[in-house]
Amino acid sequence: MGFEPQENDIAIIGVAQTDAHARYDGPEVVMIMECVNQLLGDAGIERGDVGFTIAGSCDYLSGMPFAFVSNVDGMGAWPPVYESHVEMDGAFALFEAWLRLQMGDIDVAMVVGSGKSSPCNAREVFHLQADPYVVAPLGIDPDAMAGIQAQALIQAGKATEADIADVVVRSRSNAAANPHAQVSGDVSAEDLMSAPYDMAPLRAHDVSPKADGAAAILIARRDRALELTDSPVWITGLDHRIDSHHAGLRDLTDSPSTRLAAAGAGVGDGAVDVAELHVIHSHEEIILRDALGLDDATTINPSGGPLAGDPVMATGLTRIIEVAKRVAEGEASRGVAHATSGAALQQNLVCVLEGGS
Amino acid sequence: MARPCAVVGIGQTKYKRQLPVTLDGLVREAALNALEDANLTFDDVDAVVIGKAPDALEGVIMPELSLAHALGAVGKPIHRVHTAGSVGASTAISAAVLVESGRYDTVLTVTYEKQSEGNATWALSGGRSGGQGAGGTFAPWIREYIRRSNAPEHIGWTVAVKDRLNALKNPHAHLHLEDISIEKVKESPMLWDPLHFLESCPSSDGAAAMVLTSEDKVQRSPNPPAWVLAHAKRTEFSSFPGRDTIRIKAGLDCAEALYKKAGITNPRKQIDAAELYVPFSWYEPMWLEGHLIAEEGEGWKMTDEGATALDGDFPVNCSGGVLSSNPIGASGMIRCLEAANQVRGTAGDYQVDGAKVALGHAYGGAAQYFAMWIVSSELQPEFT
Amino acid sequence: MADLPDIDFTLEFPYTRTTGPVIGPFLTGLRDGRILGTRVGDQVICPPVEYDPDSGATVGPENLVEVGPVGTVDAWTWVAEPTSKHPLDTPFAFAQIKLDGADTTMLHAVDAGSIDAMSTGMRVVVRFNEDRVGSVTDVHFVPGEEAAAPSPVDADEDVEIMEHLIGVRIQEPLQPHRQRFLQGLLQKKIIGQRSPADGKVHVPSRGYDAINRVPMSDADDVEVEGRGTVTSFTEITPIQYHGQTETEPYIRCSILLDGADSTIGGVDVRHIPIDEFRVGMRLEVVWRDDISFDDADNRGYGLNEGVYERWESTGEPDVDPELVKEHNF
Repeated sequence: MGFEPQENDIAIIGVAQTDAHARYDGPEVVMIMECVNQLLGDAGIERGDVGFTIAGSCDYLSGMPFAFVSNVDGMGAWPPVYESHVEMDGAFALFEAWLRLQMGDIDVAMVVGSGKSSPCNAREVFHLQADPYVVAPLGIDPDAMAGIQAQALIQAGKATEADIADVVVRSRSNAAANPHAQVSGDVSAEDLMSAPYDMAPLRAHDVSPKADGAAAILIARRDRALELTDSPVWITGLDHRIDSHHAGLRDLTDSPSTRLAAAGAGVGDGAVDVAELHVIHSHEEIILRDALGLDDATTINPSGGPLAGDPVMATGLTRIIEVAKRVAEGEASRGVAHATSGAALQQNLVCVLEGGS
Repeated sequence: MARPCAVVGIGQTKYKRQLPVTLDGLVREAALNALEDANLTFDDVDAVVIGKAPDALEGVIMPELSLAHALGAVGKPIHRVHTAGSVGASTAISAAVLVESGRYDTVLTVTYEKQSEGNATWALSGGRSGGQGAGGTFAPWIREYIRRSNAPEHIGWTVAVKDRLNALKNPHAHLHLEDISIEKVKESPMLWDPLHFLESCPSSDGAAAMVLTSEDKVQRSPNPPAWVLAHAKRTEFSSFPGRDTIRIKAGLDCAEALYKKAGITNPRKQIDAAELYVPFSWYEPMWLEGHLIAEEGEGWKMTDEGATALDGDFPVNCSGGVLSSNPIGASGMIRCLEAANQVRGTAGDYQVDGAKVALGHAYGGAAQYFAMWIVSSELQPEFT
Repeated sequence: MADLPDIDFTLEFPYTRTTGPVIGPFLTGLRDGRILGTRVGDQVICPPVEYDPDSGATVGPENLVEVGPVGTVDAWTWVAEPTSKHPLDTPFAFAQIKLDGADTTMLHAVDAGSIDAMSTGMRVVVRFNEDRVGSVTDVHFVPGEEAAAPSPVDADEDVEIMEHLIGVRIQEPLQPHRQRFLQGLLQKKIIGQRSPADGKVHVPSRGYDAINRVPMSDADDVEVEGRGTVTSFTEITPIQYHGQTETEPYIRCSILLDGADSTIGGVDVRHIPIDEFRVGMRLEVVWRDDISFDDADNRGYGLNEGVYERWESTGEPDVDPELVKEHNF
């Protein structure tokens, strides 16, 4: 049973991720290299067998324009390779690789997401995502926008502070089984809620711990996928959409772009056993569950999600990996992965993964 | 399986030292011009692909987020490409992939740079003192090209003059140097020996856009399509022991893959016009050789004999090229869209008569990223 | 040996943004003491936009209307610990404020003194700073409805350019291979790494061999000579930019050190005239007596200028440029 792939369908045939390091001592390139070497080794293929490579990263994290150029050192580019780069999370790089393979002339692609965020204060960096004329000069960063969004959610009666704390409790508890996690363990909602506010109504634990890390995926067209693995994970839907950056022109308590991407990816076409959501601020999980149409039958963020470790620029791709692993291992037959970019869930990618051969 | 894709709309801003607009206004002007050319509106667009060079050039991180609404992308996918100097052509190629994949029928692709907001040499230096600029990186390799090829020193000056004369015919071009001459070029200050000031690209603001669409949607647009016959990209490491930075393998491989896909067996004969990424004069002969248009050591002779002039047998940069306009992130897309202009017959005063097949090219990083495409007035041109 | 200090560097630039036909008048208004929104269809949007949010049609400055100065707080957050990028340095709120006369909210700071003073639906009023330049930071909001007359500002030109000084502070330890390389330089030694995969020696090493995709460790460290062959060069005329301290032309070259397979790049040479400089020339480093770093970093394509006095000719005959042509970067 399960999904019956056609010739043009694409499967994930291998995944690799580093730990979510609070601070990684060495170069970002070495984290990428470790992932790439593991992927190629597991698949039993050579670098030259990969027809297209694409990476996602953010120059500003390392305070170095063109930082992405040296990342190529970790992916391998000699002899020269067909390669590209998006200044986005690696999940968005997967979008382009998935489309590229559908052209038919290339059968294997590699996708990488990586970042070393420990050298900087991510809030000080990412406030530069905001409108450069009327918002960025005020230093309104993603955490501040998240605080506003969480307050709007509570004010609208769509969540309580206890609901938000529960997201953290479950994330940390789930993360206990995730060897890559940065933060894990049992905490009570009561204890969490006794902590002082950071960006009220959010507290420090409501914000993902930023990490250094890399993640990578190998994908292949059907026939090649079936040659290379016994447990292909089919990408049966992939879409991403964006909302306005003008917060005043949005209903912050909803995520219309997630709804559209979910419809585009076909989330509602079947049961969802597991979902990994790119939750950087705990209240976002509540908005995303609603926008994705997920109910209690779906296990959310079994890895602990980004609240247990947020390797910025690899975090979205890691969501796809965490779902793919569970589908490949037969723990789930159909799952949904989500990635986001921008403040207050502005841009959202949704990927549906299914087992079967 | 891949399906055909065509350019049906082209839009550009004027390229200038400083344009008095916001980033929103900048990208909208190019996008709206491209949509108007295609006789379409934002509502007809299924996805947007945006590209630019490092975010630090304007100090706006992931600007697709704050530009999505201005580009009519709310509720749609907006995809952001960044591959250093080659990004403009890479973005065009990524946009073509969206159409060719069969998933998106009509894609608006936009690239820009607003160099006047920041400083490119500062950004290239990582914000530190002692930045050598792009010219400082490339000048030693140009010296090595000259050593290997025994090219005479006037070749660089010749390219600098030819491209600026071409630019006089292009209303979008940044530099309109009416009195350009060999004398003026060689007397201009030496910036990075052997490159003079007038052998270097300007620092420009500007945006460039295209509308790409699938074969079944081409008829909606009134102006002739430019069919994307082939595209190719290749990347190699910036430095490693044994790297040849003059005859660059990634560039050779990229051209080879491109011509093969397009069915081109003799590029010099079968390509009617080329827009090559030439930010410093000497890169014209270097890319003629580096992309298999001329034999090794022979590229400068094409320049010297006038083959690359507007009325030559292999016209290069009829629009004036990067030497006349350099909004960095857009510069590669301008090469791609000027190639499309030539085969659509919409190149105005710099039109190559009867051009049917044209090449657009960009490179970036330490001459390690290559992105190229071939467009044609015909979906299946016959090459003889 | 004590570790070298961590990197502490700020990537900083004063960006200049042209403000265009709508944002320009909005910022001019703030400087002059009023807040403008744009009428689009039947709603007024503040801050103003250049396009109709629904149709995408261009909206010009003719639609600008004055709004405020009093407004109502919609959603808000309390900033317990302001960052260096925030407009106030004591705890305050960021809020979505719907100004009277506008139909949409604008994000701004409310100086309310205490989180207890904040609530959805509260009324706030703009306060114009004394010194205003035409920036969104010229104002902030306070609880209440009592407007205060803005102080006069001595300026009558329209705001066409806004400046935004952006700085991102980077703090990180030197990576282990950089730490060892730089410690070596302090002792006038050049430490490279020999790839365990192909035996090639990388100087300075980046901690890995990209060709063979292998990380390298201290076990791979090797010392190479402070002498080598020029493989490529140019003379740089410094372009002036924010932070640039160079003013006079100088030679910048790549050198293939004896015993190395990769070149050191970006080597500045200031004591040899350009007309005597050539590819193939043999040079050796003359160390400084007193070596120190004030700019140690994790990038490293060269040797760090602070360590050498100059490079001088070894007096050996030139190497044939053909032999070093694949080592020019």
